Amino acid sequence: MRSEAAIAGIGATEFSKESGRSELRLAAEAVLAALDDAGLTPSDVDGMVTYTQDTNQEIAVAREVGIGDLTFFSRVHYGGGAACGTVMHAAMAVATGAARTVVCYRAFNERSGRRFGQPDARVGGEPSSQGLEMSWHVPYGLMTPAAWVAMFARRYMHVSGATSEDFGRVAVAMRRHAATNPAAWFHGRPITLEEHQASRWIAEPLHLLDCCQESDGGVALVVTTAERARDLRRSPAVIAAAAQGSGTGQMMMTSYYRDDMAGLPEMSVVGTRLWEMSGLSPADIQTAILYDHFTPFVLNQLEELGFCGRGEAKDYVKDGGIELGGRLPVNPHGGQLGEAYIHGMNGIAEAVRQIRGTSVNQVGGVENVLVTAGTGVPTSGLVLTRG
Amino acid sequence: MSAHDREETGAHEELMELAAKQAALGEVRGAPAADPVNEPMIRHWLAAMGDANPAYLANGVAPPAMAQVWTMQGLGPRQPSPVDEVMTALNEAGFTGVVATNCDHTYHRPLRVGERVTAATRFSDLKGPKSTALGEGYFATWTVTWYSEDDPVAEMLFRVLKFRPKERKKPYPLKPAINQDTAFFWEGVKQGELRIQRCGDCGELRHPPGPLCPTCRSANRDHVVASGLGTLYSFVVHHHPPVPGRETPFVVAVVELPEGVRIVGNIVDCPVEDVGIGMELRVTYSSMDDELTLPLWAPREP
Amino acid sequence: MRTLTEGQVEIGSVLPELSIDLTPTLIVSTALATMDFTPVHHDVEGARAQGSKDIFLNILTTMGLVERYVTDWIGPEAVIKRINVKLGVPAYAGDRLTFTGAVVDCEEGEYTVEVRGKVSLGDHATATVAFRLPAPGDGTAAP
Repeated sequence: MRSEAAIAGIGATEFSKESGRSELRLAAEAVLAALDDAGLTPSDVDGMVTYTQDTNQEIAVAREVGIGDLTFFSRVHYGGGAACGTVMHAAMAVATGAARTVVCYRAFNERSGRRFGQPDARVGGEPSSQGLEMSWHVPYGLMTPAAWVAMFARRYMHVSGATSEDFGRVAVAMRRHAATNPAAWFHGRPITLEEHQASRWIAEPLHLLDCCQESDGGVALVVTTAERARDLRRSPAVIAAAAQGSGTGQMMMTSYYRDDMAGLPEMSVVGTRLWEMSGLSPADIQTAILYDHFTPFVLNQLEELGFCGRGEAKDYVKDGGIELGGRLPVNPHGGQLGEAYIHGMNGIAEAVRQIRGTSVNQVGGVENVLVTAGTGVPTSGLVLTRG
Repeated sequence: MSAHDREETGAHEELMELAAKQAALGEVRGAPAADPVNEPMIRHWLAAMGDANPAYLANGVAPPAMAQVWTMQGLGPRQPSPVDEVMTALNEAGFTGVVATNCDHTYHRPLRVGERVTAATRFSDLKGPKSTALGEGYFATWTVTWYSEDDPVAEMLFRVLKFRPKERKKPYPLKPAINQDTAFFWEGVKQGELRIQRCGDCGELRHPPGPLCPTCRSANRDHVVASGLGTLYSFVVHHHPPVPGRETPFVVAVVELPEGVRIVGNIVDCPVEDVGIGMELRVTYSSMDDELTLPLWAPREP
Repeated sequence: MRTLTEGQVEIGSVLPELSIDLTPTLIVSTALATMDFTPVHHDVEGARAQGSKDIFLNILTTMGLVERYVTDWIGPEAVIKRINVKLGVPAYAGDRLTFTGAVVDCEEGEYTVEVRGKVSLGDHATATVAFRLPAPGDGTAAP
């Protein structure tokens, strides 16, 4: 699979708090935009991949945009952990010949429709394996993503000595990047560390400004063979490596019963595989898209992926370390904290722009970009390269 | 004796004093019946009861069981009775439920058409508190004697149970899913036991539980009852958004047990600002509604 | 209707069963005939608001029906002396009230009958009723 497939097109709707349109329409608009970006038409598509959480079936999107016969369709599970997984599945399909042109998409009204940040008593009610897993937590009111993550964050602070201000530096960096990205919800609205510290508690130790915004929108990506991508409209972002990862004793978002709760073992699984497959190392990465639904896990990821040692991320993010111009600019688009929360798909699109050299916050000399997906859940990752 | 018990005892004494005072009033006569014993009411009563006995109308006497009917208030103004104050006091003390338990009639002689009766009420006694199927309550008994002129014609003993309705907890909205692999845990907490799954073969303890032993793959399992002690491993203070069935802020923690497993639960009986990693905890049980009990954690040294 | 005489009533005598359909009409008409205007005996919504599933029989009617059950059997000339009722479950509209009874005692010419009035929920009334019979040939023993 290494470098056999490439992302040839990206497309998105606007990002908002109220799209005013159906989720299916958002998906269709994003898919058409991505195909247009690639210089392809719906009739070129023979494969589709989305998230198990997406409400838009592949066949529904296909009907709307005029995609005909499909020879490959697949769904990836575990919330935002699916993001890079969709591209991995598409790359596998392309590499094996199961499909020639695969569209990956994610579209939702996550702010104006069903909000993931709100408690839903139903999650603990079903005797499915997930419902039973949730049943050790939901009855105690531990039932929002912020709280699930905060439990890890508290332990991480205890073990590493990181503070809320260290988490705040992540938020400040993302908002600084979003401030100069016209597509970002927080365009023109940077924050200070003081504002972060003063923002209200959501689930201690997480402040409001440690949490990504909830957003409406859709993003789609077109994956085809690297060879074909080179003949298309845009310069390709070659998929040098793609991996999914789940760890020992893994749970959906509450892996509290294993090791020291201060790491993200599943991200280590992904990182190890990405470096192996791509033949690259952290030093070869010019910019990284690290999943940032909540700030603390950005620190964990820097450690798990090998950008710094255990417990050193708090120093790594100091003095603008992950800001534009820093040692590793993270999420130049502003991330999910600053641009929009499209379940990680908007980050993959930014990685493609960085490879192309077309980002509004372009990092200089980009050859390789690392992208990760949802944290605290079974996850996935990509290394994209110029090609 | 706790303050609560003292308060209860005080309320009880006040009720018994009032009951004695009302009983000491003796028989209290009401106003004469609005109508004398009359054929239309007898006929109507017999028809409604489906009583075909011809003797009453033929002989100009009322059915004995009608005794109380003649002095019923109907839609007219209520007549005061020595029972009223006792009922009011019982209601105020929280014994708001009422159910009649006994109604005993004694008939001295038949009532004839044209006689006008007067009811006289005597408060007899108040007994309690007693625990009953309906809840804790008092039995109040009074008697009514019906007079024609000064001639007692019928008597009634009437007893009611005034009870404090059992509080039914609102169903707690955050219910766990339970299956064959986890039922033993939830049954345990209902009985005040914190149960940890143990492999029946290799003895490995495991929480959360599951169908197989991850170490030796045995499906042979039982459980041990944990000591109930724990150490706080990590925690969150939930502020926002609101969670159904919960008041914010509340604390949820990962607790490490000396038995070697971790479990999640709320921290209770502890100011939020005093919660910290490493604090020593002991389990406590909280009944969330009629079905669900949760194991929660309190500081070991209060 | 004929009244039983002393020779026809003895301890162990069993009363014929009486079953009464508790129609809303019966509940309401008996409540009004006993001058009882409490809403739980005629107003379905009112009864439900108080936690009852429907309107139900009032106590004065229970007394009347127990009396009727015994006099239906012994006849018009007997004299009812006492009706002691232990009240049980409510007798709701739509249910059926079934009386059974037997003579359990006779002392100095006063007979005691035990009566049970059952509904679907259980015993609505458990009663003892005491009565006297006219002496044989005593046509004047009007009730």
